[in-house]
Amino acid sequence: MRRSKTLAMLLQFWRSSLESESEYQLNLVLECLSVFGNLAGSLFVLSLLFSGQSTLGGWTWNEALIVLGLYTLLDGFTSCLLQPNLSKIVNHVQQGTLDFVLLKPVDSQLWLSLRCFSPWGAPGLLAGCVLVVLGLPEIRPQSLLLGGLLLASGAAILYSLWFSLAALSIWFVKVWNATEVLRYTLVAGRYPVSAYPPALRLVFVFVLPVAFMTTVPSQALLGQGSWHWALGSVLMAAGSLIASRLFWQFALRHYTSASS
Amino acid sequence: MRSPRASLRIARTLLSTQYAYMLEYRAEIALWALSGVLPLIMLGVWQNSGAASQAGWSPAQLRHYFVAAFIVRQFSVVWLIHVFEEDVVSGKLSPFLLQPLQPLWRYFAAHLAEQATRIPFVALMLLALSAVDPGLLWRPSLQKLLLGLMALWGAFVLRFLLQTLSSMLCFWSERAAALDRLLVIPYLFLSGLVAPLDTFPPAVQRFALATPFPAMVDFPARLLSGLPVDLGGGYLSLLIWCLILSPLCYWGWQRGLRRYGAMGA
Amino acid sequence: MVLARGLSKTYRIAEKQPGLQGTIRHLLRRRYRDLDAVKAISFGIQEGEMVGFLGPNGAGKTTTLKMLSGLIHPSAGELRVAGAIPQRRQPGFLQDITLVMGNKQQLIWDLPPWDSIRVNAAVYGIPEREMKRRVTELADLLELGEELHRPVRKLSLGQRMKAELLASLLHQPRVLFLDEPTLGLDVTAQGRVRDFLATYNQRTGATILLTSHYMGDITALCERVLLIHEGALFHDGPLDALTSKLSPHRQVRLELHQPQPREAFEAFGTVESHQDHQVQLLVPRDQLTDSVAALLSRFEVLDLEVNDPPIEELMRSLFQQAGRN
Repeated sequence: MRRSKTLAMLLQFWRSSLESESEYQLNLVLECLSVFGNLAGSLFVLSLLFSGQSTLGGWTWNEALIVLGLYTLLDGFTSCLLQPNLSKIVNHVQQGTLDFVLLKPVDSQLWLSLRCFSPWGAPGLLAGCVLVVLGLPEIRPQSLLLGGLLLASGAAILYSLWFSLAALSIWFVKVWNATEVLRYTLVAGRYPVSAYPPALRLVFVFVLPVAFMTTVPSQALLGQGSWHWALGSVLMAAGSLIASRLFWQFALRHYTSASS
Repeated sequence: MRSPRASLRIARTLLSTQYAYMLEYRAEIALWALSGVLPLIMLGVWQNSGAASQAGWSPAQLRHYFVAAFIVRQFSVVWLIHVFEEDVVSGKLSPFLLQPLQPLWRYFAAHLAEQATRIPFVALMLLALSAVDPGLLWRPSLQKLLLGLMALWGAFVLRFLLQTLSSMLCFWSERAAALDRLLVIPYLFLSGLVAPLDTFPPAVQRFALATPFPAMVDFPARLLSGLPVDLGGGYLSLLIWCLILSPLCYWGWQRGLRRYGAMGA
Repeated sequence: MVLARGLSKTYRIAEKQPGLQGTIRHLLRRRYRDLDAVKAISFGIQEGEMVGFLGPNGAGKTTTLKMLSGLIHPSAGELRVAGAIPQRRQPGFLQDITLVMGNKQQLIWDLPPWDSIRVNAAVYGIPEREMKRRVTELADLLELGEELHRPVRKLSLGQRMKAELLASLLHQPRVLFLDEPTLGLDVTAQGRVRDFLATYNQRTGATILLTSHYMGDITALCERVLLIHEGALFHDGPLDALTSKLSPHRQVRLELHQPQPREAFEAFGTVESHQDHQVQLLVPRDQLTDSVAALLSRFEVLDLEVNDPPIEELMRSLFQQAGRN
């Protein structure tokens, strides 16, 4: 009973988000142009990197397309859910409306994370899927499943990063743009992690885990996934989700004890 | 008409006030500086790929170029459209319009002040880079440095003018910032920020050079990093594009104000 | 100083039906309608006058004020302020006017007011020494001291408003446009701002036009009131003339020695309230003297008070009536 009520509530939120966003006709056209423009540019740069060679960090052109496709997909996911919701947390803190959120009979993290749904990420999701399909030599059900799972765990890691950074605004309102920094640095996920020099590779696995967001799921989709990486990805996803939850509860304790 | 002395006083006061204001936002600005790492990430990819050496670039040149591009981007970033859109929508532009000073000068002064505030953070990032790999930094000749800084300043003015033009759309549409985001795409890919122009196929390179974008990154970055560059051609390109955009901005501003006054300030 | 003839403003706004179907239809084809914000109002204001624009929210007061200051272009009509056409916003005109809005901050939020003042002085071309003299004078009148050196965000709402006024009056404009200047202020702060404006008007002879929906502002400051309702000018003249126009009655309050039945008072006028020793009546103006004399002679009255009915109530009933028409 409660689950269907939550689902109904979510659908209602998303319907009203959709309505309010659709006020702007221009936005639809612009968003599509933006996604395809970025994609065209990225493909162009990729082609430049491949000029004269057949591999980039050991990945062929088709394989690199998959990585780019997954990046575009995750970017669309960010635009759909992460950006519209989590960038509002700092607004709540600044305007004091976080109190209203905490008083609602819904889990605050869930509410803040899923409240809005922006349709403008849809072109990105679509384009990403198209790229992946183009790049895959053959579609095997078990690779698809594993790839999907690892993509989901990559998305979970992405979400946790975004959410934790957004939660920082409870302490420091002035670092509201930390999520923007994240967005700009995650562009490294456009290319397979082995395309980078060894030092950067370590950074992209342990510090800013883009490797788990695009490279590892791509390997799984290609049937090249290894157990260590898959397990590591799932563990990291679970760990980061738990960490984000704990951090949020810590942040809330600080918030409720500090606000007057 | 104002005397030059009065104008100088306005400039001085605006700049000092905006600098004091920006200092209050140091943390935010530090983060913005941090978000400018794209050229350094691209350096990572280009270093490992053999494509740059195909275009005739040595590894040292490649590194210096991208670090120079990083610096150029840090000091030519323009965020006018975000504040301008907010001011138009909230009505904050109205009091500015009632003072005898062209409001755009305020935003220009704010940008200069922000750049001044950025300097220590960029310096720190460069220091960190040199700690990781000393070969990343270099000392340019004084002549190249001055020419490069002049080109950097020109690139900033050009970007400011271009974004002023898209900001004028704020008077007609509440989502003008989205349109400006479209302009970021050719900026990223045609200016040399993510891929050196020399690696482009000749037809694409010719097309890129016909746009204002290479003047925004490629030209000043090559000057600063000591790569061979068409000095006259680069400055000419900057000048011509500024001359083209200025009257367009003026026209856009006049029409935009008329609309602002018609639709309710 | 101000001359308006047939001043009008019409907006075109897009209409959207609620619901998802409406959204899609709106995305594909838009429908517009015309909204008359201001309908052909005419008035003239002399130099040195203090005039209040009164009316409910959305009546068109702020739109009128913005047209007078040059921010909004009128759709029709003629307008001259300080001899210039406001919408041209020429430098000479801008030096003569100032606009202060109660709900919008013009001072730089994170810096002390002094920084905003310095910028204003530079923009208006006021020499440094002159600027310091004017600031001292105004700060004195406004009772501001070290607040000018504290960041604006750390000041109370009242202090912020006073600082706003100071910064806006630095260039000694001849016309002041004030849009809800006492909005959100507590009673003491409201009183101080009103005192300041009255003194400023006396000392400098500046013309002050203010909009407010606090009756206290209007009654304390404005000899003349322009009542705007749904974009049209209802009344242009002194405030008591407005009261007489709105209500042909006066309110009589009696305190009796002994309670009397309600019916006893109904002969004199409408009984508004009747409770033990207190009675409140509405008596027609022309019968006032006779009624009062009769009341005093017929009943044992301990205390008698004659008032105008509160203007807020009059306005409310007027607007309700007009709304019904």
